[in-house]
Amino acid sequence: MDEMLDQFLIEGRELVAQASDDFARLLRYPQDAAAIDSAFRAIHTLKGSVAIFALAPAERVLHAAEDVLERARKGSTRLDRETVTALVACLDAVDRWIDRIEAGGKLGGDADRSAAELVRLLPGNDADAPSEAEQPPEWLTSLMTREAATLSGASETLVAFRYVPDADCFFRGDDPFAIVAGIPDLITLAILPGGGGWPELQAIEPFTCFSVLEGVSAAALDQVKAAFRLVPDQVMLHPLAAPAEQDPDNGREKAAATLRVAAARVDALGERLSELIVAVNAFAPLAAQADRVDAALAASIRAAQVDLEQATSDLHRGVASVRLVPLAPTLRRLPRLVREIAASLQKQVEFSMAGEGLEVDKEIADGLFEPLLHLVRNALDHGIEAAERRQELGKPAVGRLALSAGREGDAVIVTLSDDGSGIDPARICEVAVARGLLSAEDAEALSESAALRLIFAPGFSTAGAVTDVSGRGVGMDAVLSAVERMRGHIDIDSRLGSGTRFRMRLPVNALTTRLLVVAVGTDRYGVALDQVVETVRIDSRSLMPVGEGLACVLRGRTVPVLSLAALLGLADVPAPATRLLVTRSGGERVALKVDGFAERIDALVRPPDGMLAAVRGVSGSTVTSDGGVLLVLNLPELAA
Amino acid sequence: MSVTVEGEVIRLSGRCGAEDAEALLAALHDGRNRAVDLSGLQRLHLAVLQILLAARPSIRGTPDSTFLAAHLNRLLSEKSDT
Repeated sequence: MDEMLDQFLIEGRELVAQASDDFARLLRYPQDAAAIDSAFRAIHTLKGSVAIFALAPAERVLHAAEDVLERARKGSTRLDRETVTALVACLDAVDRWIDRIEAGGKLGGDADRSAAELVRLLPGNDADAPSEAEQPPEWLTSLMTREAATLSGASETLVAFRYVPDADCFFRGDDPFAIVAGIPDLITLAILPGGGGWPELQAIEPFTCFSVLEGVSAAALDQVKAAFRLVPDQVMLHPLAAPAEQDPDNGREKAAATLRVAAARVDALGERLSELIVAVNAFAPLAAQADRVDAALAASIRAAQVDLEQATSDLHRGVASVRLVPLAPTLRRLPRLVREIAASLQKQVEFSMAGEGLEVDKEIADGLFEPLLHLVRNALDHGIEAAERRQELGKPAVGRLALSAGREGDAVIVTLSDDGSGIDPARICEVAVARGLLSAEDAEALSESAALRLIFAPGFSTAGAVTDVSGRGVGMDAVLSAVERMRGHIDIDSRLGSGTRFRMRLPVNALTTRLLVVAVGTDRYGVALDQVVETVRIDSRSLMPVGEGLACVLRGRTVPVLSLAALLGLADVPAPATRLLVTRSGGERVALKVDGFAERIDALVRPPDGMLAAVRGVSGSTVTSDGGVLLVLNLPELAA
Repeated sequence: MSVTVEGEVIRLSGRCGAEDAEALLAALHDGRNRAVDLSGLQRLHLAVLQILLAARPSIRGTPDSTFLAAHLNRLLSEKSDT
């Protein structure tokens, strides 16, 4: 049952996402035939899926929406913006109901009423809400519930039947059981007591039929009708929509070409692969050893090593690409949430999304939603002004919120921009000082971009009033830590009066991390390469004492220098040359002094657990080719 | 004879028609704890089946007919709706 529900939640969401894409297009081009067609198919299939779960209100709403689209498809009515808006409301409601089902709840008592309300808003349905005939008969609903487990696996169009034989049919020589046995492709069959309960033994009339036969066949409606040709008056038939209607042309190949695999299995494959990479690394010392005995043998070993490395790295790319999923399912709830949040704030917003087809590692896709939702809430609450205020300012009454995703090398860039009031760095500093986050002098010294980043400080809020949308503190610190957990970073760009843009940069592949191994004293640590801006070697004499610490000039800018040894509680050993690892922390460049740079490796970094989880600045650990454990440092956190 | 009683077991075999309903009902009536053996059953009329559904005796054996084998087990093991 749970597996089936999981499947429904996945597919249901995909269908909602598909339909909402189509509706978004229809809002702009209400006559787009391809979008009407695609929306119709998605809604139709979704209706079939909810029928299996006996979600009557959802089924009613989808049925009405399907009717509207069907008429538009046939050209008997034309879609307009108002109708598409009503369709969007229907889809939003179904989406909410799916959320409630996922949360383990029921649709709630108001679902029937809101379904009726939604249906009434659709053209052609305003006279009377759903008529009795449109609703699935009661027997069908209970059949679907009863047989849900069997029906979920079916992919074709099915026919449900209810056969109520006459009480005296045995006298006429009918055998209803034999008739039912003649139905082709019978999937399920139930025999139920006609009078509500089976009679007591002594009350049974052996020649009276007191049974009702219900079942589902995968055969065509005509074939099922044919099986009942002798008793048509005693039978009710009801075609069930196919749970997944495919493109007629290539649907079959598509269905066969896609495989759903539990993410954990792919992860396990990835871990095995890392072990293989580690094993291959053992060839290098082996070749070195062979060199001493036989140079030709050593050369052969090296050649074999290169081949193996090539093959493992191909395999690695293959496994990593299996984990790539489109961003769309993660983002598909946002348009609806934007509408809901904007409505609760009585603001008018036009939300647009671009690049949601981009594929990223599953971990990134999963981890992105929460921080993004925070940012969206924040933009709607604090960024975009109320319509009247916007008009006073000479802006269009409807605010704009745009989300875009794109690739930049090995990184995904996700940007959220609004045309709201922007963030005032002076005001941010004022609040931060008032909240005791920093001293007035320190605030004075901050650059504008550093001041903006104060909103990521824990417990920061600039809103005069605490609203129930963003709440206090807004959780912007949670945004930052979520992004850093994914080894990404976030930039803010804001212009007072004209808007704010958040830009998140995240790695495309999370499966393995490219690490730079650094030496601190006699210890070695891993550092994610995407946290490293550059590595430099300078003369120790060019380090300048600044306040209590050190700084140096890099590319014409003064950069604070911290000792990684000191940060890790180790002894700092002075040397004539200083090796610096430059990273970004809080939007500013910070240099960390290390004792040496070693190799770069691809490694699977395991998240910290046990005692490690409590250590600040450690993002995980990995196993090296010699079987040792390498701690992986989180530079921004250490340098903060 | 399609309905035969052997001690505490009622055996349904071959083709069980509507006329066998009475015999089954009587056999179940006489021995409430009798099990019903379906081995060798080729056909089962609804008149007989509905008595099994109402009486819910313990069932043993598998019918010869594939249709019956496929559906009877499930029909007779499901809980009564009453």
